Amino acid sequence: MIAATRKRVWWMIVPALVLLVGFLVLPYASIVVMSLRTADTRAVYGEGFTLSHYAQIVTDPFIWGIVGRSLRMGLTVTVVTLLLGYPVAYHLANLRSRWASMLYIFVISPLLVGMVVRTFAWMIILSNNGVINGALKSLGLIERPILLLNTPLGVTIALIHVFLPFVILPLLGNLQAISPDLAAAGRSLGASRLRTFLKVTLPLSLPGIQAGAILVFVLSISAYVTPAMLGGTRGRTMSVLVVQYLVDSFRWPAGAALAIFMSAITLAIIVVYLRLTARAMRRLP
Amino acid sequence: MTTLTLDGIDKFYGDLHILKDINLEVGQGEFISLLGPSGCGKTTTLRCIAGFEPIDRGRLLFGTREMTNVAPEHRDLGMVFQSYALFPHMTVAENLAFGLEVRKVAPAERAARIAKVLEMVRLAGYEGRFPRELSGGQQQRVALARALVIEPAVLLLDEPLANLDAALRDDMRFFIRDLQQRVGITTIYVTHDQSEALVMSDRIVVMEKGVVAQCGTPKEIYERPASRMVAGFIGHSDVIEGTVLGREGAMIVVETAAGRLRAHGPEAVSGPVHLMIRPEKLRPGLAENAMTGRVKKAVYQGSALLVVVELPSGQEISALLDADAAVAVGAELTLGFAARHGWVIAR
Repeated sequence: MIAATRKRVWWMIVPALVLLVGFLVLPYASIVVMSLRTADTRAVYGEGFTLSHYAQIVTDPFIWGIVGRSLRMGLTVTVVTLLLGYPVAYHLANLRSRWASMLYIFVISPLLVGMVVRTFAWMIILSNNGVINGALKSLGLIERPILLLNTPLGVTIALIHVFLPFVILPLLGNLQAISPDLAAAGRSLGASRLRTFLKVTLPLSLPGIQAGAILVFVLSISAYVTPAMLGGTRGRTMSVLVVQYLVDSFRWPAGAALAIFMSAITLAIIVVYLRLTARAMRRLP
Repeated sequence: MTTLTLDGIDKFYGDLHILKDINLEVGQGEFISLLGPSGCGKTTTLRCIAGFEPIDRGRLLFGTREMTNVAPEHRDLGMVFQSYALFPHMTVAENLAFGLEVRKVAPAERAARIAKVLEMVRLAGYEGRFPRELSGGQQQRVALARALVIEPAVLLLDEPLANLDAALRDDMRFFIRDLQQRVGITTIYVTHDQSEALVMSDRIVVMEKGVVAQCGTPKEIYERPASRMVAGFIGHSDVIEGTVLGREGAMIVVETAAGRLRAHGPEAVSGPVHLMIRPEKLRPGLAENAMTGRVKKAVYQGSALLVVVELPSGQEISALLDADAAVAVGAELTLGFAARHGWVIAR
């Protein structure tokens, strides 16, 4: 019986496995190999293998600066989306109304607009004579425009907007699975609304927070279109830099090394993050 | 420990009138069951007492303290939920400590009280377990312990046995009742199970469509139901339609298709009525209130013999007879009952 069950499960994962190996593992492997090639001016890469690209990357303060900026932006976007998204998810989870489905659509609305269209809209909103600066100026609050376009701040704002659903949806699923009786039990035992939330609901929603945060962080770090269009040089992130290496400067081996370097940093952060959050959640069922 | 007063409570959901003028006085240490079919308002009544549902009209008092608009956390009550609602990320001891920490009970006293209550619910030694490591019955007792350890004024139980299997449920009935009497706590118990209400309660409040249909001791509810609905909801009953002819002392004479029958009933009953008899009160061959008919069915039930008799009027009445009674299907059978075992209900 057990053997039969195992066999069935094995066959069922084959399609996903083929996709994963064919479109993730193999390209990744080829990028790793590429990053070890020597540079060449006449071909994509030269003869022989070298670690020099990695050596250049880790000794270059300019690259470390951009890594730092990418991580700072990713962290800011993650924290802010969590702070903005949690109340929305909490409200939606407790909603018993026919407007609930309308609110769901509202929540995922950032994803319903094409990425490029949405980013152009942000250019209009953020630019020096755009909506925000125009409004502030006509209110007499500022004389000269605040720089938003081509800054890390502008990119951060736009990323928060797109990635909000990615933190709301996992949290919503998590919060909906928590029985309302638990909060009622907390209140009946004498705990205030706030204390009940902090001691009961919040700890039980850690899995949703963990999932949402990791999604948004990874998506922010790897976002390309938004920082490329809104970031300029001051808001340039690692993914933008990698594409510049590959496409603009045609430095494939160095660009591949940069991509692998960034992946390794992200992976390390995720591993540490999972360790820490697993500790925080060890008491959960 | 306190008395509890529900004074003319009304509750609306939009246009729906969920609770209609609920009045109830609960004595100190009394065990009251709210009994009724689903949707009768019993759980809503409990949630109003707990403070989870605002009361639209009327007043709620714990002793002499006005509770109508007090937040649930300030009502000083213990509540046991149908789902138990144990905090899954806390151990048994932490679940019990939750209410004590809120009340700022010193750690040493906290530990002593937790140990004492766990002893009471026969779960000493389970302090470090998580709820998921316990059986349903054990979780149930932890929920009970968590509600009792804070020594609340009132204990509220919302169908606490509904998720347990039948054998365990029977044990827990007596366990809860015994514990309640030892602690002497005023208790409101919501259930849709009439046998649960009968064996556990000091008094039963039968609810129907948001109103109190009857409030009385289990014996009163069972033997002197105020309405056809109450009679039908608690146990089995035979109901014969008739018209009141007059009174003979304590007895009411009712003209029915099965003949002229005599039974007890409320003071001011007249006109068209239902005459109710419990099947176990019918006796074969009894001359008093004798009704003769043909046996349609005789089902052996182990402890009793269930007999269904068709009267000449076409009405069927069922009787629980001695399991050894010699009854043949198709034969004639005369059943009678003592007048004090019959009960007349206005139609």
